[in-house]
Amino acid sequence: MSVSYLDAINAALNEEMRRDPSVFIIGEDVGVMGGAFGVTKGLYEEFGPDRVIDSPLAEGIIVSSSIGAAMAGMRPVPEIQFVDFITPAMDAITQQAAKLRYRSAGAQTCPLTLRVCYGGGTGGGMYHSQTNTTWFAHEPGLIVVAPATPTDAKGMLKASIRQDDPVIYFEHKKLYRLPAIKEDVPESADFLSDLFHCAVRRPGKDATIVTYGFMLQPSLQAAEKIAEETGASIEVIDLRVLNPLDHETILNSIAKTGRLCIVQEDHRTLGIGSEIAATVAELAFDCLDAPILRVAAPDVPAIPAAEPLEQFYMPDLPKIMTAMRQLLQY
Amino acid sequence: MATKVKEPAAPAAAPKSAANGRPNSENPLISDDKLKQIYSTMVKCRLLEERARTLKKQARFKGNYYAAVGQEAVAVGAGIDLRPEDTVAPSHRDFILNFIKGVPLEIMFSQLYGRVTSPDKGRSSPAHCGYAPLNIITPASTIAAQLNIGTGVALANQMKKNDNVVVALSGEGSTSLGFWHEALNFAGVRNLPIVYICQNNLWAESVSVKLQTRVDDISLKATGYGFPGITVDGNDAVAMYRVAQEAIARARSGGGPTLIEAKTYRWYGHSEIDPAKYRSAEEVEEWKAKDPNAAMERYLTGKKLLSADWKQQIIDSFNKELDAAVEYAEKQPQAQPIECLDHLYSFDVRSRELDRKTCTPQY
Repeated sequence: MSVSYLDAINAALNEEMRRDPSVFIIGEDVGVMGGAFGVTKGLYEEFGPDRVIDSPLAEGIIVSSSIGAAMAGMRPVPEIQFVDFITPAMDAITQQAAKLRYRSAGAQTCPLTLRVCYGGGTGGGMYHSQTNTTWFAHEPGLIVVAPATPTDAKGMLKASIRQDDPVIYFEHKKLYRLPAIKEDVPESADFLSDLFHCAVRRPGKDATIVTYGFMLQPSLQAAEKIAEETGASIEVIDLRVLNPLDHETILNSIAKTGRLCIVQEDHRTLGIGSEIAATVAELAFDCLDAPILRVAAPDVPAIPAAEPLEQFYMPDLPKIMTAMRQLLQY
Repeated sequence: MATKVKEPAAPAAAPKSAANGRPNSENPLISDDKLKQIYSTMVKCRLLEERARTLKKQARFKGNYYAAVGQEAVAVGAGIDLRPEDTVAPSHRDFILNFIKGVPLEIMFSQLYGRVTSPDKGRSSPAHCGYAPLNIITPASTIAAQLNIGTGVALANQMKKNDNVVVALSGEGSTSLGFWHEALNFAGVRNLPIVYICQNNLWAESVSVKLQTRVDDISLKATGYGFPGITVDGNDAVAMYRVAQEAIARARSGGGPTLIEAKTYRWYGHSEIDPAKYRSAEEVEEWKAKDPNAAMERYLTGKKLLSADWKQQIIDSFNKELDAAVEYAEKQPQAQPIECLDHLYSFDVRSRELDRKTCTPQY
């Protein structure tokens, strides 16, 4: 059966809550309403108000109460409805969740999975569209994941909930119901995806695209188009995990192709692409046949709402095509 | 709902049958043994902190220390009857809660000295002692964060349907933060088993309480969260004990949270490098005259529960314990440099950091 990204997340939550009574959900509108996008639909009815908690409108306590509950043995799955609203929880995430294990030398830990809805391209405007992945990927102590397929959405969420570390789980709102990515998803209650490695979504030998989240879609389309136009074969790597980065898969690809383009929805400066480019420059300098390119959002504060402005902002197929032609012609 | 308990409470002597020293529903009064235990613990807390200050001044350990000298009645009254499975969410100034809850002195001094035998193996600052076996949350320096994490522990206790409570401590400065509001509001909404203790010592580093809040009694704020708030003379150990135990008992039996504002005073600066020149000498002297330990001593003397010999015995024997703990801590090694990379995740990252292999073309 073909499953959407949203239904895959919902199934993962349901399965983990059935499996482990210490798993609970907390967030704004997650209960009675079933989530702003319907991701937690049906869970309140099945598990009740004590395990699917409609929280006060306060992101700080959503995350910090989850930290305390996790420390006391629970497995919280808090939700931030839009990543644009995550800033009141930044102390909880960066100073507490990321550092609790370290500052207690492993004696106190907070295994929690913070689900965060992110991403633009929906006309949501400045505060319903952001991609702040870098803020979290920069923070040692957090595992940061961004699944791009329904199979990963399910398997990585289940694995995150079982992981003994705080995980920030980025889910892109444009992927939720995207028909093109619906796929068969393993139904086994014990199906888990790897939380530590990139996935090579399309093998190639002439150049490498590294991307994540929704940007996997235009990246794969660009690889297909380039192959049709020029015959060049592009390897497309889906990062999946933004921290800690899987350097090996990326470096092995560059050793093979010699050319790298990073595609990210986050804006350019100090984005995930900066770290990947620096790592490749440090560790695979001899492999490079061309300057590393980045297709990223411009350095403006957030995504503007009006269509032409949003279009200018969002990386897309034409922008990736331009970069790839430049990369291959160098 | 805010009420005041400003006058020193005058409990009658408990009957001899209260041998375990714990008040209960049949006997709500405080036993003589409990009064003596409160006093001796206060004396020990002060000796402990004065020793820590001396060691800091002698540069025997690095970093800073945040003494709660002058506030002992609050910590002892709130912490003395906690069970091991109860959680304490301490601020930077609550080092002595570790002692009150039963953390061995060797471990506490290892913390001051940043040795491998400290609970955090030398990671945090000297005064930031947490201790997982007794459910003391390892403090962070970000003010009020411990209240929010403690609130989450209370949520877990409620979900697990046990009768454990959380005592979350902070100062009056913390009440200005959004975190503080989020924690108390949430605890009220969920009726969580937690007691918030605001140690109003009038100064948040150099800033007067008059610049933190317009209200005279911070306990008033509890009204806005729908649970009881009470202001207590934080230098009156008996009053503090009674108020704290009532709140703890209410939390334990499902009655929900309480905010206790304990009005008190820190005798010294914010930290050992703060001469506290922002306060007048008169104010400091006025509060030193309200020394909680001396007040408790007078109270016990009046009840014929204190002799000079007994007091001296407490001091002498505890000083020996402190000597031994200091000697122990000073002999312990510091962490190996490479341990900087440990305890980041549930998996090891040493090789990731150390074995960065360069890559050569494969085409």
